[in-house]
Amino acid sequence: MTDDPAVRVEALEALLVEKGLVDSELVDDVIAHYETNVGPLNGAKVVARAWAEPAFHDRLLADGTAAIAEMGYGGAEGHLLIAVENTPAAHNVVVCTLCSCYPWPVLGLPPRWYKSTEYRSRMVAQPRAVLAEMGLELADDVRVRVWDSSAEARYMVVPERPAGTEGLGPEELERLVTRDAMIGVARALAPDA
Amino acid sequence: MPSVAGLPWLRHEPVRERLQPLWHDRPLLGELDDMGGRAEFFGPVAREDDEPVFGARWEARTFGLMTVAGATGLSPNFEAMRDAMRRLPRDVYLAGYYRRWLGGVENVLADQGHLAPGELDARVQRGGGAASPAPVPRGIAVRGELLRRSLRSRYPPAVAAKLLPKRFGTVRVTRHQPRFAVGDRIVVRAPRAAGHTRQPTYVTGRPGVVTARLGATLFPDALAVGRHEPPQHLYTVAFAGRDLFGDEAEPETEVRIDLYESYLVPA
Repeated sequence: MTDDPAVRVEALEALLVEKGLVDSELVDDVIAHYETNVGPLNGAKVVARAWAEPAFHDRLLADGTAAIAEMGYGGAEGHLLIAVENTPAAHNVVVCTLCSCYPWPVLGLPPRWYKSTEYRSRMVAQPRAVLAEMGLELADDVRVRVWDSSAEARYMVVPERPAGTEGLGPEELERLVTRDAMIGVARALAPDA
Repeated sequence: MPSVAGLPWLRHEPVRERLQPLWHDRPLLGELDDMGGRAEFFGPVAREDDEPVFGARWEARTFGLMTVAGATGLSPNFEAMRDAMRRLPRDVYLAGYYRRWLGGVENVLADQGHLAPGELDARVQRGGGAASPAPVPRGIAVRGELLRRSLRSRYPPAVAAKLLPKRFGTVRVTRHQPRFAVGDRIVVRAPRAAGHTRQPTYVTGRPGVVTARLGATLFPDALAVGRHEPPQHLYTVAFAGRDLFGDEAEPETEVRIDLYESYLVPA
């Protein structure tokens, strides 16, 4: 018995095709979808719009699923989306301690570190230390709110809008919103960065 | 100390006598998927620049197979897949995310009778690509076509707002009234259930406050093993860091987690 996953998955797919249970072209299509159609740019568009449009901002915080649907986003792992907003007094960060739940329609598939045992075990217990190690220092009086998204809802963080972005258009704002900022392990980029 | 609007209750001192011993003090015999707060797994979080969506072709094939298996009914639901991963041997579970998924797909296909014991190992031995693709039965083909059509960058807003949450979510109507209201103090029942559950050990036996009601959904613990149970109300519960990790907790921290009604008892 081999434990080389490349060999095992190839054999598994061949076996399922031979049994008439799986169509390999559909597997190709699924992979291409997550490589090209879905990714953190979707979430960046959502956040940039929330920064620019107060009414959309309020709808996003009230019902995230409905708000991203307005922009055409939804689907697997985004069926109950909740947006949580960072403020000067409170910082939000997302983890899934039980597996690696993540809002795919707006952030794409999770990065390796998000799925690591180190992040999953430690973020709930030592959020300030983990954030500081990842480059995000928070003042002592900022409350840290860790969301363990391990049930039906998926969470995305709306980072604080950086200073000096008043005159920027939607695409310029989108470029400031990184995947890590929407997980809550970074701030949005400064406009001159 | 700044006040956090709407959360005065988290300013209260924790009720120490109600606390069970800290997780760290207990023997490490938890389920592998139950990672929260487990010091044995603590370590630096390694971030990579410009990480590709898939690190290798086999990771992509594993992801694709899992998604297709879920959408076409080869796997009954995602919760069964999570349970199938939880049951993996420790070395396989800890060998990385997609290795875990591959083991999960194997387990769930075996559970569903699509793979006989030893069948995959025999196919590995034989090697080579698919010899002669068999025709896909109509039911699987139709569900596969629905999946194919759903692979798009954007959806009509009405589809995204109504159809997709129904297709992918487990929110259900229930006649049961919710037992808890926002602001209620609860304690998470102890011990946690054996087998597959979405109740992490690090909140078990700990006091928290309900901060939101998320409606009723199918109950994952039952869904994972094909047990029929009525939908359960789901709540967001806030826990002060000190109530979870005692003196080791960092100041001004809280954890919020969504918990099913049967996990909660009134404080």
